[in-house]
Amino acid sequence: MSRTLGWRAAPVFAALAALPAVPGMTDYYLLLAFDALLFGAVAMSLDLLIGYTGLVSFGHAAFFGLGAYATAILLERGILSLWASLGFAVVIVGLYALVVSYFATARRGIYFALLTLVFAEVVFTFFRYTQTFGGSDGIQGVPPPELLPGVTLDTPMRNYYLIVVYLALAWAACRVLVGSHFGKVLVAIRENEDRARFLGYNVQRYKMAACMISALLTGLGGALYPGRAAFATPDLLLWTVSGEFIIMVMIGGLGTLTGPVIGGAFFIVLQEKVSSYVDWYFIVIGAVLILIVLFMPKGLLGLRRLLGARPWRATA
Amino acid sequence: MDYLVAVLLPQLLHGFVFGAALGLLALGLTVIFGLLGVMNFAHGELYMLGAYAGIVVIGVTQSFWVALVVAPILVGVLGALTEATMLRPLYRREPLYGLILTFGLALVLREGARQVWGGDMRRIPAPFTGSTPLLGMTYPDYRIFLLAISCALLLAIWLFFTRTRAGVLVRAAVQDAEMLDGLGVDVRRLFTLTFAGSAALAALAGLLLAPVFTVYPQMGVEMILLAFIVVILGGMGSLGGSVVAAFVIGIAQSLFSLWMNPQRVAIAIFGIMIVVLIVRPRGFFGREGVLE
Repeated sequence: MSRTLGWRAAPVFAALAALPAVPGMTDYYLLLAFDALLFGAVAMSLDLLIGYTGLVSFGHAAFFGLGAYATAILLERGILSLWASLGFAVVIVGLYALVVSYFATARRGIYFALLTLVFAEVVFTFFRYTQTFGGSDGIQGVPPPELLPGVTLDTPMRNYYLIVVYLALAWAACRVLVGSHFGKVLVAIRENEDRARFLGYNVQRYKMAACMISALLTGLGGALYPGRAAFATPDLLLWTVSGEFIIMVMIGGLGTLTGPVIGGAFFIVLQEKVSSYVDWYFIVIGAVLILIVLFMPKGLLGLRRLLGARPWRATA
Repeated sequence: MDYLVAVLLPQLLHGFVFGAALGLLALGLTVIFGLLGVMNFAHGELYMLGAYAGIVVIGVTQSFWVALVVAPILVGVLGALTEATMLRPLYRREPLYGLILTFGLALVLREGARQVWGGDMRRIPAPFTGSTPLLGMTYPDYRIFLLAISCALLLAIWLFFTRTRAGVLVRAAVQDAEMLDGLGVDVRRLFTLTFAGSAALAALAGLLLAPVFTVYPQMGVEMILLAFIVVILGGMGSLGGSVVAAFVIGIAQSLFSLWMNPQRVAIAIFGIMIVVLIVRPRGFFGREGVLE
């Protein structure tokens, strides 16, 4: 049990917990760290699909954005409990993911990517043009959620700790998942779908389950976002955001859990830093992506081997 | 009757015009997917670059017709360079990498266009104005020209694939590129030229539609989504299916917009796709086992 939970990660989380105590830590950097860890966790959930199951989802922005809208809709209507919005997000994202994964996993390969993309575009179009939910402006200026009655998540510090806890729980869940029999079947499907089917596994059901788990983890991450940003806008649902999630996974390293977390954090910091100097940061990000695909297909974690570390186990 | 002639008929023709142009875009996407296994996310940006290259060439030569020839060649050369430098190393890897690489390329091209030409909307004036009486209504000459040239191009592409040696080779490579290589065909050159051709077609579609639509750096994003839907609907890898689906989507889009506001149209188009996929999971002409 201790091995599957990976106690080596404990010092990392201890360091994350101690981060706000670092001298000179401003609210700006805490919020940057919030984004880095949040999108790191989202990239990790996406890698369950891409890296482990071999399904490229181009629609994860819809899961994230639906989670964010679920929270924002409740907050706007005066329901401030964080737990209510997390529950609401699970229901909304779960129902949507059920439909998408049913259609998308019925087909192989490129169809999965395109169908998730098109379904996500339906969600985007719906929120973009529905005035009840603010149309193109989205839902702005929502009050901060309450962890418990009276305990409001209104400071960057509290939000930051919330996201550290979320990352830790999501990481532990993924870790248990990929180490389990279920996780091994997913890898088997990635490696050879027909063989997995001949062995008697109901491949589509496994794929749907992987898709649902990944979607729900992403949706929960999205549900935590309005607490920090005080808004949910249709821009969160854009398919280019789904593409950015994939970039994060690629930067970090496919088929690992740690890689995408690093990749997500790296992407957020890169975007923040580059965009504060130049306004053409998309060129930088696109070029980084091209170079990684061409020369570093294992992502940042692939560097470990160059540095003489043990080869990374792709299947954990 | 008045409603039919004054409202329905022009809109139906608009749909044909748009469908034909969409077909040009989707055909390139389908061929590249069938041949290289790469779903080209940068295809919409090649379409966008076609329009901007047209603006530049028109600026230099003052002639729309020169631009119509030169702009696709420029974008085709860019396509050939892209294929040779970026996609070729990926052929032995999983298709996923091609998808992701072209997504990065799309980001670079889109932002590059915004930096070079600015983010504002531009227009290319139609090379000729005026209208012609047609079936009891008057219809703009340029749109008639657009419909004619798109259909001529689609016909030429069909003849290319069925009647010329090069076209047959491309189709053979879609079936089994390794076997073709073994038979002594230079498959690498074939891939590069096909990619260049697909890029040139996208650019041509971009420039042809520019006088009807507006030109801006994001213009490819919306079109590529429609083109994806067309390719899925037609059946992956089916050339005829792509053309049929392009007309279906083009006509549906313009007829729906008579009765609905734009967002409902978008959702209705998605609805068509979902219904078709329930009834025919492989699209109109997709066959089991092809490209799966």
